[in-house]
Amino acid sequence: MNRIPRVLSVCLLLTSAGLYGCAGHQNSEKALQGASADFQKVKNDTNVLRSAPKDVIRAGELLGRAERLSSYIGSGDDVSHYAYLSSRYSAIATEHSQLLLNQEKLARLELERQRLQLALREAKLAGAQQQGKWAEDQVISLSTQQNERGLVMTLGDMLFDTGRAELKSSANRTVLKVVQFLQFNPKRVVRIEGYTDSTGDSQENLQLSRDRAQSVADVLSDLGIEDERIQVEGYGDQFPVDVNTSERGRAQNRRVEIVFSDEKGKLSAAR
Amino acid sequence: MALASLFGCANDPAPNEQLKLTEQAVAQATAVGATDDQPDMATAQSKLTQAQADMADKSYKDARMQAEQAELDARLAEARVLTEKSAEQLAQVNARLERLRKQLGAAQ
Repeated sequence: MNRIPRVLSVCLLLTSAGLYGCAGHQNSEKALQGASADFQKVKNDTNVLRSAPKDVIRAGELLGRAERLSSYIGSGDDVSHYAYLSSRYSAIATEHSQLLLNQEKLARLELERQRLQLALREAKLAGAQQQGKWAEDQVISLSTQQNERGLVMTLGDMLFDTGRAELKSSANRTVLKVVQFLQFNPKRVVRIEGYTDSTGDSQENLQLSRDRAQSVADVLSDLGIEDERIQVEGYGDQFPVDVNTSERGRAQNRRVEIVFSDEKGKLSAAR
Repeated sequence: MALASLFGCANDPAPNEQLKLTEQAVAQATAVGATDDQPDMATAQSKLTQAQADMADKSYKDARMQAEQAELDARLAEARVLTEKSAEQLAQVNARLERLRKQLGAAQ
């Protein structure tokens, strides 16, 4: 009783499959052409061939399988399937090739960066020697103290032009000292904190303090200290070290502090 | 004909290995940072889900096809993430080089 309807429905299913077959065939034909075009592109790209030969071979094998299947009737789904897989392998090959090219370029640029870092260090050293001791004693307000936040070095206001974030060349000597210290103490990390006085817009002060701290961080990084060892914070006019009512006090408050971690790399908590 | 195709279906073995492979590929893509925001990754995940449902239905051929496609979708998503990351690194190093050259220009 039950069998006849089942056979009938199977027949119906097959017929409907046959009807859809036409549309399916067109789709699979399209997929096949697409996969073939993708494969041609990677096959003719020497970079892709060089860096991802296995993916290219897989793309070719799967394309071949899809092409062979396409000569059989009713194989539309399989053809589409293998064409899809082939296209994916072509795309993966392209990505792998791009990745390798990027990595090779990165390695070259990294060498260039090291060369420039050395050159910059030499230039700064020469500059610092020219300025001599006078610069250190007179221009750089440099004080290092040990307190509950750890070892803290203060870079004074005169190392920056008013309203500007760039560190002046008179800071060369100090910066070189910090770099040397960090190189001798490879586990130590630093947090660079910017502060301003309370004159002006507090939002702008916050930005300026952050920018100044960042520019100190940039110089350290340019001289070869790894970015991972440098944190940057801007506190604006918070945490003044002196009164904001006198010119002298305001000058004291405009500063960048370099907080050093202990020799194990443990920094005091940020404020 | 009907019988052959019926047997064909019945004879398709359960693609257990393929499903494992696909799950690994999806996990690996996730590990390097691929998310559903990426079309390839979203496709991979939905096809894997479909493949698992097909397995439960014992539609092994469908399960295998979905899983095979999902595996490559995931691998492509992974490759794209890695390429993107390296491109970001390149941009970073280029910016640093630019800054270094500027500093050197100022120092000399």
